[in-house]
Amino acid sequence: MNALISLSVLGIVAMLSEIFNFKKFLYSLILLGLVAAIGVNVMEWGQFQLWYGMMIVDEFTLAFSGVILLTGFLWFLLVADNHQDKAHISDHFAISLFAMAGAIVMVSYNNLSMLFLGIEIVSISMYIMASTQKNDLGSNEAGFKYFLMGAFATGFILFGTALLYGATATFDIQKIGVFVTEHNSELPAIFYAGLILIMVGMAFKISAVPFHWWAPDVYTGSPTLITAFMATIVKTAAFAAFLRLFITCFSGVELFWNQTIMIMAGATILLGNITALLQNDFKRILAFSSVAHAGYMLLAVLAMNNQSGGSLLFYLLAYSISSLSAFAVLLAVANLKGNTNVQSFKGLAKKNPFLAFVVIVAMLSLAGIPPTAGFFAKYYIFTAAIANNYVGLTLVAITGSIVSIFYYFRIVIVMFEGDESTEVTVGSNTKALLVICSVLVILLGLMPDFLIGLLK
Amino acid sequence: MTQYFFYFLSFLAIFFAALVVLSKNPVHSVLYLILCFFSIAGHYILLNAQFLAAVHIIVYAGAIMVLFLFVLMLMNLNRDSEPPKSWQGKVAATLAAGLLLLVFTASIKGADALPSGNQPDNTVGLLTNLGKTLYNDFMLPFEVSSILFLVAMVGAVMIGKREEVSE
Repeated sequence: MNALISLSVLGIVAMLSEIFNFKKFLYSLILLGLVAAIGVNVMEWGQFQLWYGMMIVDEFTLAFSGVILLTGFLWFLLVADNHQDKAHISDHFAISLFAMAGAIVMVSYNNLSMLFLGIEIVSISMYIMASTQKNDLGSNEAGFKYFLMGAFATGFILFGTALLYGATATFDIQKIGVFVTEHNSELPAIFYAGLILIMVGMAFKISAVPFHWWAPDVYTGSPTLITAFMATIVKTAAFAAFLRLFITCFSGVELFWNQTIMIMAGATILLGNITALLQNDFKRILAFSSVAHAGYMLLAVLAMNNQSGGSLLFYLLAYSISSLSAFAVLLAVANLKGNTNVQSFKGLAKKNPFLAFVVIVAMLSLAGIPPTAGFFAKYYIFTAAIANNYVGLTLVAITGSIVSIFYYFRIVIVMFEGDESTEVTVGSNTKALLVICSVLVILLGLMPDFLIGLLK
Repeated sequence: MTQYFFYFLSFLAIFFAALVVLSKNPVHSVLYLILCFFSIAGHYILLNAQFLAAVHIIVYAGAIMVLFLFVLMLMNLNRDSEPPKSWQGKVAATLAAGLLLLVFTASIKGADALPSGNQPDNTVGLLTNLGKTLYNDFMLPFEVSSILFLVAMVGAVMIGKREEVSE
């Protein structure tokens, strides 16, 4: 709740900075505000509050809010050196802060109306941010495509919510959960129809196969800065919302939906990884890898045990910081070369050993190779799934991550090929971001116990 | 009596909705959509929710329809300029929509004996009760939705603002 309030206030301040002419200090103010929000979030740890029955503040909320705030802070570090559109900067800051506020609503909702509002705040901000480069055809296409498909998916969520209300006469997710366990054998068909519709809508938001078609185009077309936001913060919020909904409401009817999600997860892992193999554009590779990672994270939802929350938290943090550092290097390279092709990374290792090292750490982590966070993320999520007897699906996931090594390492190999005369320069904020992300990735890989112990 | 009204209004709503899809001219589609919204507003009145019916007509049949017409006019869509769709697309769309219809129709089965049991309060649609629900139980979502509107507003201004042409 405090995170929500501070983010909304920061957003309003950013919006007003245009009128009151303090744009110069706005950036530092936002960074300070985000640090303060992280501090407040940490201070709140261990509390339990229910706000008007609409928002719940528990360890799950605080842990995922922490991931969102931390990723948001790192993302704002990236903004400093890469923001091209100086005229609209305060509007852009305001919208991204509001999107983060919406993400906080999505991780802390206790009522389906709040879930809907959170999803809409995040989505509408993203539709706008995707189409901010008005002169670029790709950006326009991305924004419009995302808007049309996202509105369709929201329609599904809304219809599902209405049917659930019709069956259970409440929007409160805990009351729905109690209703499901009490009337387990006599649930009406309308309830199951609602469940399926909500599942379809949420699967769209997390870009699970077969509802992933928007993701590669939108991720590639949007400005790279916004893609980094979508792939990390929006995904974190959507997955936390997905897990909370299914654990609280639908754990009583697990047998009804687990087959569907199982097939969805397997297809997402295989299709995401295999399609990523065929791409030549690094941004598109990262887009398909984010689809594939959604498949791994669905395993945490399937696990439905006390390890689900912790393993999903670990996975999302590891994935978010690794992706952010990959996107940061991609932005620096693309600013110089003018395209996001894999070949533009040629010779990076010779001229920029630091950037090359960061990319290697990020790729190792995304592929799930031991000394990095990504390995333990996959390890925890797989053990959680095996504990609930999803051995076959875990084997599929392991095959998928072996396939993923090929395309993650392709970029590493390209970096060591050939000679490149021009040096890629990065600003001090991006440098700080790269250092923080790489240190965190390695630190989480060496000492995973702390984070995984947070949610039990 | 109410039941006959219900069936009559439902027939009208579905009939006009079909006409929206079937008519070739987009302006006709918009006009049929207005009629469809009016029949749905009739449903609200049957449910004793006069305020919602009025809001529905003002917002949908009034404001949103005007927006639709503006878009049609600005983009000059009042001709049959839509390219023909491939037969695969048509088959897939029909199959998907038909299956969805099947699921919805099947899900109505048993809906008259819902285990939730409690009869809905039929005065909840009245203005006083609606206000009480909105500002007591749903106070927080009401406030949070202001963030949503702020985002939409800032975004509309940002996208709509004319850019200075840069050399």
